[in-house]
Amino acid sequence: MPFLNSLLRANWIVRAALIIALLFAGQEASSAQNTSTAYKFKAVFLFHFTQFVDWPATTFSDPQAPLVIGILGDDPFGDFLDATVKGENVDGHPLVVQRYRKPADVKDCQVLFISSSEQSQLGRTLTDLKGKTILTVSDMGNFAEDGGMIGFVAVQDKIHFQINTDAARDANLTLSSKLLRLADIVTTEKK
Amino acid sequence: MTVIMLTSGAVLLLTCLAFIAFEVITLRKGMVDGLMTRSEIIGVNSTASLAFQNTSDAADVLAALKTDPQVIDACIYDENGHVFAQFPSNVAASAFPSALTGTGFHYTSSSLAVYRPIIQDGHALGTVYIESNLSPLTRRYHAYALLALAVIIASTILAYLMSRVLQNQISQPILALSETARAISRKRDFSVRAVKYSNDEAGALTDAFNEMLAEIQKLSSTLEQRVEERTAQLEAVNKELEAFSYSVSHDLRAPLRHIDGFVDMLRKTSQDSIGASGKRYLDIISGAAKRMGALIDDLLVFSRMGRSEMRRTTVNTDSLVAECISEMAQDLQGRAIEWDISPMPEVNADRPMLKQVWVNLISNAVKYSRDRSPAKIVIRSREAGPKEWEFSVKDNGAGFDMQYAGKLFGVFQRLHQNEEFEGTGIGLANVRRIILRHGGKTWAEGKIGEGAAFFFTLPKAN
Repeated sequence: MPFLNSLLRANWIVRAALIIALLFAGQEASSAQNTSTAYKFKAVFLFHFTQFVDWPATTFSDPQAPLVIGILGDDPFGDFLDATVKGENVDGHPLVVQRYRKPADVKDCQVLFISSSEQSQLGRTLTDLKGKTILTVSDMGNFAEDGGMIGFVAVQDKIHFQINTDAARDANLTLSSKLLRLADIVTTEKK
Repeated sequence: MTVIMLTSGAVLLLTCLAFIAFEVITLRKGMVDGLMTRSEIIGVNSTASLAFQNTSDAADVLAALKTDPQVIDACIYDENGHVFAQFPSNVAASAFPSALTGTGFHYTSSSLAVYRPIIQDGHALGTVYIESNLSPLTRRYHAYALLALAVIIASTILAYLMSRVLQNQISQPILALSETARAISRKRDFSVRAVKYSNDEAGALTDAFNEMLAEIQKLSSTLEQRVEERTAQLEAVNKELEAFSYSVSHDLRAPLRHIDGFVDMLRKTSQDSIGASGKRYLDIISGAAKRMGALIDDLLVFSRMGRSEMRRTTVNTDSLVAECISEMAQDLQGRAIEWDISPMPEVNADRPMLKQVWVNLISNAVKYSRDRSPAKIVIRSREAGPKEWEFSVKDNGAGFDMQYAGKLFGVFQRLHQNEEFEGTGIGLANVRRIILRHGGKTWAEGKIGEGAAFFFTLPKAN
């Protein structure tokens, strides 16, 4: 849908307005875009997470280094996430979306959305990411309790999130209190 | 004093108005600033709520406003201008203005509303709107108005008291000065001095006034002294003169009596030897001695008139005039005189003195009209004004030249030769002297050969 894309590229507010409009417009519009309303919300949320999380200064090689949002596994956002972050930057770091097929591909990224397709090997993936300053996000069940940092959960048709503050702290990330206020705080469940 | 009060009142009112106006502006600005700060806090706290579409969290943030009783309502708009969260929760979303953007505020009569965008990392996420009532402002306004009123009342009272004190300081010396001046002019006492109250302008005025008084006092005392000296001198001279004239008159009578007496004796004892011419000489000597005696008598009367005390009584002029005429019976023998006498008023005078006046005037009229037959003598009285009577004695006798009218009343001033009409020249002088002492005046009118008229006035009795 080139018309919509060009509009999305035009202006962040227009884009945001469109998100709301699409929400109210119903399911047809979203299915036509091949991206569900829920994932559009999650894409926007992913973008917003970058604004409420502080990475250590050492994360970036230089002040203009991009802030990379990585997607591990099947991409549920289509090109919606790319459209959302296009032209945006956080503290001077331009936002960039990268996609990884397997955990080994994950290199220099600051946010990593782990697709539900990776559920089977989640434990090993999280172990691999340990010690890296990467904000891990996923919408698979019990993600935060399993050692991820932010897990989307649906509560009464609304998207909430759980935050595992231990995991974030281990990764040397500072989460804004404003973000924490909105989240259910969880800890890693010992298996 | 009114001027002072009005001036200070106006100044105070203006000051209070300026102060209140300044305070009102400051308060309104402060109110806007305070509400803006509050809305910014709300905005900062609600960025995440907007970013993550968490309405209940935004409502929680807004609920913090309940600690401020002045906040009427508040809301957060999302980026599309829809009400995202509101406070208090029971307000309808339609109660809020639609689609506010940017920063601003507006006052209504009872409330102040401010709004400002909610920005996160340069992105406007929405707008926060807070409406507060103005009761604190109104309370402050009332407090200021009361304060201003109290200040104005207190200052007015103070100004009134101060102006009274100040006015006393200014007017007291001036009032004292004018009181002193009045007392001086009333009592003629130049030894009084004005009291000096202060060393300011009023004090200088008092000093100048007192200096002037001292000068006047000095002048008046020397003047009085000089008047006293002169009066004393005059009195002494006058007394000397009177004593002299009295003693001279008195002493002159003795040799005169000798002359008269011895002439008489000579006439009796030497009747035959001296012959007819000798007898004529003796008559001339005797007549001259008698005239001189009359002259001396008149002089004595004249000098007594000046000194003797006046005893005023009510005098019936009608009877006085009649008395004078009847006493002249001797002179009137063989005369044909038409008397024309009008009714006369009563006057307040020294009767013997007044009689002297009438005797002199009537006898003059009789004397100078003796060549007329019949002689006409008119005696009149009339009111010459509200305060005096005018009397006149008019005859159709020898008369006089009006150019000498002024000399008639002088001592020894005679317009006729002694051979023509005998007289001492003292009678009219006495008349003038007596009338002057009674407070009246004398004058005469006449024409040679046609008669004379003598006038005098007397003040009416009180």
